[in-house]
Amino acid sequence: MPVTRPVDLPVRWDLSVQPDGTGKLVFTGELDTESTPVAWTNLESELAGIKVARLEIDVRQLVCDSAGLALLYYLSVGGMTPGANVDLTGLSPDLQHLLRSFSTEDFEALQEHEPACSPFVEDVGVATWSWLCDLRQQVEFIGEVTLGVMKGLLRPRSMRWKEVLRVFEVAGVNALPIVSLLTFLVGMVIAFESAQPLAQLGAQVFVANLLGLVMSRELGPVMAAIMLAGRSGSAFAAELGTMKVNEELNALQTLGLSPVQFLVVQRVLAGILLTPVLTVFAMYAGLLGGIPVLLGLGFPLRMVLHQIQSGLHFGDLAEGLSKSIVFGAIVASVSCLRGLQTGEGPRAVGESTTRSVVSSILLIILADAIIASLTYTLRK
Amino acid sequence: MNGTAKTMIEVRDLTIGYGDRLVLEGINFQVRRGEVFAILGASGSGKSTLLKHLIGLYQPMQGDVLISGASLVRAEGDDRLRILRKFGVLYQGGALFGSLTAVENVRLPLDEFTDLSEVAKDLIALSKLRLVGLESAATKLPADLSGGMQKRAGIARAIVMDPCVLFLDEPSAGLDPITSAGLDALIRELARGLGITFVMVTHELASIYAVADRVIMLDPKIRGIAAEGAPSWLRDNASQPWVRQFLNREVA
Repeated sequence: MPVTRPVDLPVRWDLSVQPDGTGKLVFTGELDTESTPVAWTNLESELAGIKVARLEIDVRQLVCDSAGLALLYYLSVGGMTPGANVDLTGLSPDLQHLLRSFSTEDFEALQEHEPACSPFVEDVGVATWSWLCDLRQQVEFIGEVTLGVMKGLLRPRSMRWKEVLRVFEVAGVNALPIVSLLTFLVGMVIAFESAQPLAQLGAQVFVANLLGLVMSRELGPVMAAIMLAGRSGSAFAAELGTMKVNEELNALQTLGLSPVQFLVVQRVLAGILLTPVLTVFAMYAGLLGGIPVLLGLGFPLRMVLHQIQSGLHFGDLAEGLSKSIVFGAIVASVSCLRGLQTGEGPRAVGESTTRSVVSSILLIILADAIIASLTYTLRK
Repeated sequence: MNGTAKTMIEVRDLTIGYGDRLVLEGINFQVRRGEVFAILGASGSGKSTLLKHLIGLYQPMQGDVLISGASLVRAEGDDRLRILRKFGVLYQGGALFGSLTAVENVRLPLDEFTDLSEVAKDLIALSKLRLVGLESAATKLPADLSGGMQKRAGIARAIVMDPCVLFLDEPSAGLDPITSAGLDALIRELARGLGITFVMVTHELASIYAVADRVIMLDPKIRGIAAEGAPSWLRDNASQPWVRQFLNREVA
C-alpha cells in the first residue's frame, strides 16, 4: 500500500509495503536541520502502524546534513522498525564516511550513564569534614593575619602603606555616599515606625532618644559593616580569586612572598581603620534621617537635639565604634580568605564572592549577638 | 577584487583598530572554499583582532567581510544570524562551558537552534565527538579533560551545526607536540572529509607547514599584509627577508 504525502517540506518520501512484509522507502529532496524534525515525527508515526520484516531505504535523490544523517542512521539500525532488516542504498561516499561516525554503542552508553549520586550519610560526612577543614583554615588564617598585621605595625617600613591607602579610598571613602544614603533612609523609617506606638503611650518625644541609641549602638555599625561586606568584601574576594585563577598567587609564592603578607594584611588593616569612619557617618546620617520626621511631628529642632544628646552617652558611642572595628576585621579577613580559597574554573570566582558575602554577614550578626550579650552583662 | 563561486570569505578594504589606534589598514584577501588558510604575524601585529573582525565580534572602522558573498558587517537581525550559522569558532582554550559535560557542550547549539528530537540530538552530538576521537569522554566535565581533549571537544561543538567555515584561534597553543600533531591531522581530515574551510591564527610553524594551504603574513610596520602564498613557497621565495626569517625560525 503506497503512502504519499504532499507536504510543503524540502524532502519527500514514498513508503510502500508489500504483503510479504517487504517495505521500500524512497527519499527525494533535502533532509536538513529544518525538515528533519517533521520528517522524523511523521515517519515514526507512519512506520509504527506497519509490520515490516525488511526495509530498503533509497537515498540516491537525497541531499542531507548531520540531522538528516541522524534520521537515516536511526532508520538503518531499526530504530523505527524493530526487528526488521534494513538496507540503506545510494548514499554518497562522503556521507557514508560521516554515517560511520554514528554509533549505537555510544548512544546506549550515554543513555545508561547516570550522574554519580552519593548516599546521604556520605554527603553529611563530607559536608561535616569540609566544615571542620574550613574552620581550621579560618583559625590558621586569623593567626597568620594577626602575625602579619603585628609585623607590619612593628616594622612599618615593611608594610605597603600605599596599598592600605588605596583600599581605604576605594572601600571607604568611595562608599561614604551609599552608606550615608542608606542609613539616612533607615533612620527615617525607624522614626516613622516608632512614632505611632510611642504616641499611644504619650512618649512620642522619645523617638529621638530611641533613634540615637539604635543608630549608635546597633544599626550604625551593622549597616556600615553589611555595606562593606556587600560592596568591598565581595570585591576583595573577586580580586584575590581572579589573581589565584591567573596564577598570580603562585607567582608571589615562588618569588618567596607570602600572599597573606603581600595582599591580605593591607586589606585587613584598611578594613579595621575604615569601618569606624563609615560607622560614624552611618550614625550621623541615620540621625539626620530621623530629624525631619520629628520636625514634621511638631517637635522643635532644639528639643529634638536635646533629647538625642540626653539619651546618648559616651559608652554607647564607644560600644558602636568597638563593634565596628570587630566587624571591619571580620569582613576584610573573611573576604580575603574566601578569595584565597578560590578553586579552579570560571565559576570559582563567583562562588568565592558569594561565600565571602554570606560568611561576612553571618559572622557580623554572630559577633553582634555576642557583643550585645557581653555588654548587657557588663552593664548590669 | 570580485569574489568567485570558489571564494568562501572575502575581506575588502578592511581597516580595523581600537579607538584612534589603527591596527590594520585597507587590507584585502580571499579565502577559497575548502582550503586551510592561516593568518601569521609577530605578536601585536593584529592577528587575533583580525580574527575577531572576521567572526563579527568587532565592527571594522571601514571595509567589509563577506562570507559566501553575504556581508557580515552590514547584516542585521536574522540575516546576521544566518551568516553566523555558516561558521564555527574554536577559541584558544576551547571555551567549553564548565558546568556541562562534553556531550552537553556539543549538543548545546542543537538544543538552542533546532527542533530535533532528543534522540537525534544525542546521535549527532555523539557522532561529532566520535569524529574528533572523544566518544569515550562524552560524559566527562571539561575540568576532567586535558587541554588537547578540550580543544577537540571545542571543535566538535564548532562543527555540530555543519558549518562551512571553521575559525581557529591558536589551536596548538599550550599543547604538547604529539597532541598538536593529532590536532593537525584532525584539521586535515575535517577539511578533506567534510570540505570545511579553515581559517586559523597560529604561531606554530610546524602546524602551518602541516596543514595550511595558504598563509598571509601581517606586518605591524605597514599595518597590512606583507606576504601571501603557500607557506613553503614563502619560506624560500618571499621578497621580504624578515618573512623568510620568520618562516625559517631564524633570529633577525
